[in-house]
Amino acid sequence: MTNALPPMTEIWVYLSGSPLLALVLTLSAYLLGLSVYEKSQRHPLANPVLIAVIVVAVSITVLNMPYAKYFEGAQFVHFLLGTATVALAIPIYKGFESLRSRMGVLLLALIAGGVTSIAAAVGVAKLMRVDEALVRGLWAKSVTAPIAMGVAERIHASPTLTAIFAVSTGILGAVLGRFVLNACGIIPWWQRGFALGVASHGIGTSRAFSVHPQAGTYASLGMGLHGMVGAVLIPRAASFFYS
Amino acid sequence: MIEGLVFIFIFQSLGELFSHFIFSLIPGPVIGLVFLLIFLFIRGNVPASIDWVGSSILQHLGLLFIPATVGVVLYLPLLQTHAWGIALALLVSTIATVAVTSLVLKFMASADGEQNHHD
Repeated sequence: MTNALPPMTEIWVYLSGSPLLALVLTLSAYLLGLSVYEKSQRHPLANPVLIAVIVVAVSITVLNMPYAKYFEGAQFVHFLLGTATVALAIPIYKGFESLRSRMGVLLLALIAGGVTSIAAAVGVAKLMRVDEALVRGLWAKSVTAPIAMGVAERIHASPTLTAIFAVSTGILGAVLGRFVLNACGIIPWWQRGFALGVASHGIGTSRAFSVHPQAGTYASLGMGLHGMVGAVLIPRAASFFYS
Repeated sequence: MIEGLVFIFIFQSLGELFSHFIFSLIPGPVIGLVFLLIFLFIRGNVPASIDWVGSSILQHLGLLFIPATVGVVLYLPLLQTHAWGIALALLVSTIATVAVTSLVLKFMASADGEQNHHD
């Protein structure tokens, strides 16, 4: 019987050579994150992405798998980020029809919010004498991660750091947004949703959808518009700042 | 399903080509987004196949961040050294962004007398 199965190490060598291991690891960690999120009644701190990232990072460390090796397999998931960015046109289009009359106000709020996000993050980081490589990663962090990573390459920041900061910002916004909005006395759902979408993109948007559909629609518009405007303006602002 | 996927891939490819050869300042997928948006405006509605594929992908947007974010393992020592500064920067920036964006909306809307009509 023992001869029927190849030794464990051979199976291992075979599996770790194909993209399957990284793919299975990524997808199952995400499923685990989702189920914890559901079990916790969608508590914002039980963010599925956060859980999945911790699980995968610990797993590849334990398996002694270099990150580059992991990414070789996981790139098939990563590739779809670009596709997801293109698909953002759908919520923007759907939102636009009903929001046309408010477009001016929304754009103004978006620019104010986007500038605040960069000024506050970069300002505080500089005051705290944070390493320059990390500071650059903060520039695009309020933009939705797929666009943020593209912008990061253009401003010579690390796309990885930018993605980490973007996901952290999303979680912070989803957790704290409610309290900040209440403190500011913001009542209408469209205002609450849009602010959440601008400040904390995808994670804030899914939070907004789970609270109220109108908040969700405006949040996805806020996220989409911030992505488009940010992709155009952030590289220019950064090159002006660093030249 | 395949139809919608092919459609979105075509817009993504057009965006990448445009970004690569003509206008490299904007990432390809963002140009693809703009092209798809223009297409939807001309058409006047969202074809069901595109809607289905797009919504499915966006619903699990979080999954797509995982491979890049796991790269945190490469930056752990640097991040640990600056943990407090980074945490404070992210915290202040997120709170300030929510506050400024929503307050601008509130004051602009009340200047328009817009808070009176509910929808």
